[in-house]
Amino acid sequence: MTADQARPPDLPGADVPVIATTALTRRFGPAIIALDELTMAVGPGITGLVGANGAGKSTLIKILLGLLPPTSGKAAVFGLDAVAGGEQIRGLTGYMPEHDCLPPDVTATEFVTHMGRMSGIPLTAAKERAAESLRHVGLYEERYRQIGTYSTGMKQRVKLAQALVGDPRLLLLDEPTNGLDPAGRTAMLDLICRIGTEFGISVVVSSHLLGEIEQICDHLIAIDAGRLLRSATMSSFTKASQVLAVEVEEGSDLLAAELTARGLGTVRAERELLVLITGDATFDAVRDVVADLGLPLTRMEQRRHRVEELFRADASLAASAAGLMGAVDGH
Amino acid sequence: MATESSASTEALASGAGVIYDIGYQTYGGPRLGRRAIAVALCWHSLRSAFGIGRGAKAKIIPVITFVIICSPAVINAVIMALGRSNGRVVSYDAYVGVLRLLVLLVFIAAQAPELVSRDLRSRVVPLYFARPIRRQDYPLAKYAAFVLALLAMIDIPVLLLYVGTIMQVHGGAAIWAETRALVPGLLVGLMWAVVLAAVGLALACVSGRRAFATGSVAIFLFMTWTLTTVLTRIVQTTGPHGSGTHLSSGQQVSMAEHLFGLISPFTVLDGVRQWLGGTSHGIVADPGGYGPAYGVMLVVFLAVGLAALVRRYTSASVA
Repeated sequence: MTADQARPPDLPGADVPVIATTALTRRFGPAIIALDELTMAVGPGITGLVGANGAGKSTLIKILLGLLPPTSGKAAVFGLDAVAGGEQIRGLTGYMPEHDCLPPDVTATEFVTHMGRMSGIPLTAAKERAAESLRHVGLYEERYRQIGTYSTGMKQRVKLAQALVGDPRLLLLDEPTNGLDPAGRTAMLDLICRIGTEFGISVVVSSHLLGEIEQICDHLIAIDAGRLLRSATMSSFTKASQVLAVEVEEGSDLLAAELTARGLGTVRAERELLVLITGDATFDAVRDVVADLGLPLTRMEQRRHRVEELFRADASLAASAAGLMGAVDGH
Repeated sequence: MATESSASTEALASGAGVIYDIGYQTYGGPRLGRRAIAVALCWHSLRSAFGIGRGAKAKIIPVITFVIICSPAVINAVIMALGRSNGRVVSYDAYVGVLRLLVLLVFIAAQAPELVSRDLRSRVVPLYFARPIRRQDYPLAKYAAFVLALLAMIDIPVLLLYVGTIMQVHGGAAIWAETRALVPGLLVGLMWAVVLAAVGLALACVSGRRAFATGSVAIFLFMTWTLTTVLTRIVQTTGPHGSGTHLSSGQQVSMAEHLFGLISPFTVLDGVRQWLGGTSHGIVADPGGYGPAYGVMLVVFLAVGLAALVRRYTSASVA
């Protein structure tokens, strides 16, 4: 055990960032700017790429794969330039697109084997790796069925398997939970988490729902309208999201006053009270206050941020969170 | 390697009770380069051109067209074996012109979409582009595959014709004569395959909808052929009367006829064959002095077809 722990992390390119961009800009025609002077770096592990639809996530992924030339600026993957070293990058990278990309009339085994060969793996090895990739994503006997008969969740798994079959060092997953039901989303996220931690493959996973991927990411990059909003480790993100939303049928003024009196940072937002969470005691305190005052409690939940709320300067929650911080500091 | 062992150690630690979970294995074996991947794609596409590795439905048209196009060679062999004919009844270079044309028209219209439209339809093309090949490798591998498929469709019957013939001729000289006649026949087949594959795929890749792709190939090939035939007929029947007293009328008519032959890829191919010394009568009149025009038109069909095909995949719209 000691030897294991002492061993340095042997991830490929641990010394160079997995992804680095410098003032990366991509225009489509004179009017549309998909990426605007984007500068950021991604290390090993699971990185979430969040942004609203149209923020430039897919464009960024295509540039990283060398499929789309940047208008200006630079992008590098494992230290390889995305324009000059596109082929090498694609040899090290697995890509799962956002859209459907599966032929309906072949079996998953045939399809993933073929995509393995297209990744440069000889036939026999490609067959083995296809079987293994499909097993890793949780497709067993079904893999001998035609893809056209699959459910959306199974298709997403095949899409992931074809990205995994070439034994990549980096996986670029574009909205992998799209179209999945809640159970399917959880399963897909667990799978991605496993790939990032157990398989030792760096993962960049894009999503327009922060709440969804925040559980599995080590690092988060938020982009909006092609610009970098924020790039930080997950822990620094969650610090800002420690907010408890409390909603009572009546007497919210009374509750707010009482909570403030007990030293809890409290802010009124339209129908609810936002309470800054300082620890488990916060939940107990709120519960006690509500019980003591005999108020009809309708809702009490730790606030899940949507990316728009967290990153826009004028977002009410971000503003209130900042207000809370100020309130506590002033206390 | 260290990654592999650490990954499997972790997997063991987390799921030791699960027998089938042997953890993630990295791949340490050889990796093929860009060229080898393109060859693999070509081979895969060649198989799919004949419906191999697909369901039974996908094999219907390739099998039927192949059987039909082979039938003259078989009939020739039967006739010769029964001693009804002293020599070959079918030529190597022209084969059976109209039959070959119609069979290939059906084959190209049905199978060119199989190679390109399917991938466009299922939007699998971006997955190819995300692999260690270049954009143009994909259409060029598809093109090479379709050339080989058409070559098989054209030259296998010619080879059957050769085999069926030499089994009945006697003496080395006769066999040598047959072999010498065979080689131009095979080369004509190659010329047909090279040009028609470019034209067929360029027309098929316009749409991911199979019906549209098949339609565009069939309409183009059939309409140009019909146009050539009809216009030639009109000139042949009305020409001498219409041209009246002009001394040069015969020449003028034949000029129009030659020009109409330039419309269809099939007649262009047959014209070039005759211009290059093809002996037997074909589906178009011997172009004579217009041979170079047929040669130029052949290059135009090939170049425009290939350029359109490659351009379709190198423009940003596909990925």
